Amino acid sequence: MSRPPSAVRLLLLLVATALLTAVGAVPVQAAGQDRAAADGERRVVRVGTEGTYPPFTFTDPETDELTGYDIEVMKAVGERAGWDLRFTQGTFDALFPALDAERIDVIANQVTINDEREARYLFTQPYTFSRGVIVTASDTDDITSLADLKGRTTAQSETSNWAQVARDAGADVQSVEGFGPAAELLVQGRVDAIVNDNIAVLDYLASTGSDEIKIAGDAGEEVSRQALVFRQGDEALRDEADAALRELAADGTLAEISEDYFGADVSVENDADLDVAGSDSGRSRWDVVRDAAWPMLRGALVGTIPLTVISFVAGLALALALALARLSGVRLLDWPARAYVSLIRGTPLLVQLFIVFYGLGQVGLKLPSFAAACLALSLNVAGYAAEVIRASILSVPRGQFEAATTIGMDSWQTMRRIVLPQASRIAVPPLGNTLLSLIKDTALASVVLAPELFRAAQDAAALSTEYLPLYCFAALYYWVICYLVSLAQQPLERRLGRYAV
Amino acid sequence: MTLVEAHGITKSFGDQTVLRGVDFTAERGTATVLLGPSGSGKTTILRSLNVLETPDAGRVRIGDAAVDFDDLPRDKAARRRQIAALRACSGMVFQSHHLFPHKTALGNLLEGPVQVQGRPVDEATADARQLLERVGLAGREDAYPSQLSGGQQQRVGIARALALKPEVLLLDEPTSALDPELVGEVLAVVRDLAADGWTMLIVTHEVRFARDVADQVLFLDGGVVAERGGAEVLTDPREERTRRFLSRVLEAG
Repeated sequence: MSRPPSAVRLLLLLVATALLTAVGAVPVQAAGQDRAAADGERRVVRVGTEGTYPPFTFTDPETDELTGYDIEVMKAVGERAGWDLRFTQGTFDALFPALDAERIDVIANQVTINDEREARYLFTQPYTFSRGVIVTASDTDDITSLADLKGRTTAQSETSNWAQVARDAGADVQSVEGFGPAAELLVQGRVDAIVNDNIAVLDYLASTGSDEIKIAGDAGEEVSRQALVFRQGDEALRDEADAALRELAADGTLAEISEDYFGADVSVENDADLDVAGSDSGRSRWDVVRDAAWPMLRGALVGTIPLTVISFVAGLALALALALARLSGVRLLDWPARAYVSLIRGTPLLVQLFIVFYGLGQVGLKLPSFAAACLALSLNVAGYAAEVIRASILSVPRGQFEAATTIGMDSWQTMRRIVLPQASRIAVPPLGNTLLSLIKDTALASVVLAPELFRAAQDAAALSTEYLPLYCFAALYYWVICYLVSLAQQPLERRLGRYAV
Repeated sequence: MTLVEAHGITKSFGDQTVLRGVDFTAERGTATVLLGPSGSGKTTILRSLNVLETPDAGRVRIGDAAVDFDDLPRDKAARRRQIAALRACSGMVFQSHHLFPHKTALGNLLEGPVQVQGRPVDEATADARQLLERVGLAGREDAYPSQLSGGQQQRVGIARALALKPEVLLLDEPTSALDPELVGEVLAVVRDLAADGWTMLIVTHEVRFARDVADQVLFLDGGVVAERGGAEVLTDPREERTRRFLSRVLEAG
């Protein structure tokens, strides 16, 4: 139970504006503001969910709104408890750290109750009862029970409890992001089986109409229970949710929501045969791609492009400062700059992103996703651009500095009026490469939950399992953006070089 | 009236001593030619007058601005102010012009007056156009240095130095980097300036030109002034080494 990465949508515009006005300054504690606002009116409760796990939590391609069984249950609970809900999307694996870090207050994402989780978190009463099943390719007939999984390979989400079930059965577990990709591996014959809950599997079968995989057997007797998860210490909140759930169960609201999605009541413990309503049935490949076009474009407009612009501008400013520090001849400035450049260029951007997003969060610097991605990308760009700028400044002949000195310029005027204009001409082609890299690197922001183009593609892919057309489409978007940027580079080079022969 | 005064200037680069106590003065409105074999320190003397090189010892005065290198102010800002005041008294013409390649001819002339001296753009532009006309470049105001010939570039370089209205013009081998056929046009401009009464210090190997313009000749050798006098030093030197140097240069020329 965990699907491809997802993103923080709601804080985006706010954060983008904040960052534009204060590039380089570190916006802290967007979360704290939500809390403060709660005093006056309804209590703000931040809900973490994947948004990519139909039919439980997903974005409806028609209305473009977050919906699903878990979402509707959560909304009903929120209404009953008098909460003001703020939904935040993230990968399943990221939801628990987000809960720990107080970025969210509750997870509504088909979280199964188990001992390990009960020791660390607070669960409400269950609102879903499901049982585990083993899924195989249609032509596999030698796997029908957990015992048959010994020595076989299964595809599972690493942190879902089904991974543990498979491992306990002696299977070699391959980590994947979500059921769709797992099913794909199964169809391609790269794994032998998947252990998952019956609801998700039935939904997959119904929505894709696939006859290439089948439910081959039960994964044990046990019925698993899914509930809302709160942080330890938030008993009051949990109790309010519990009370609401009890009311919703009693007055039939839960059953009603469940019927809407599954044609059966999964909110009670019985073994009803589920008639799963596909959320996507009937959509052709073309429809899927067409429906994803706008969300992806929006991802580019509100995510990829602002991320690129902000990170590039902030990164260049920092890079210039680093370059000047290195050229200052002052050891106290030169050495830290040198160390910084070496560290940035010597470590993976992905690791830098995780340090900024998850690491800094642990020491009290909780940046929203978008801000964290901006910060990490800016710091990264600065490391690379600093050397480019330094080399460009060094390439300006010494005579230019002397000529500026003899007409009375101080070092700052010399830099600004004489050296940098000449250095910029030399720096534009390599900085253009840095910019193109940056545009593509913004896709990494999806792993720290920032909403952007690639996130949108993953959302659409999780819903439809049309990986090839959707990811190719996303690649096309990136290519178009990069192509337009490279087109703009030539006139810029011409303009900066207009004085040259 | 003595405008330029250098006293006891010494300068070493590493363990190589280039200047070993150079003294001289230059009167207002005169042209002083510095001659000497390469490595004799002529260029270093010029660069000491505007502190492109900081002398190890000695004293420089131009007009009212003076810097005593034996007794520089401790305070960095005060030291900078003192040096800036001295620099403001001179304009420099480099051997390879060092024009700002990203500025037009006019832009090169405006940079100092507008950015440093803070003069109004209109007024500075009018002056700059006049200067360009004076060095024979009327109509080339908007040309970038790369679009000008070597001689034209050097004439813009001279005009740029003049644009700051300095008390003294320092010319460091202004024709050495030029093709022979372009030397004449630059020397003609310098001759005109001398005739107009500009105070100039000129490092040059053009002995015939030096004879025409020099009011004072300083012959440097081994980091000291080996011989000094009027233009007659160039025709009838007293010192043997001056004589040898001149005959070598004239043979070569």
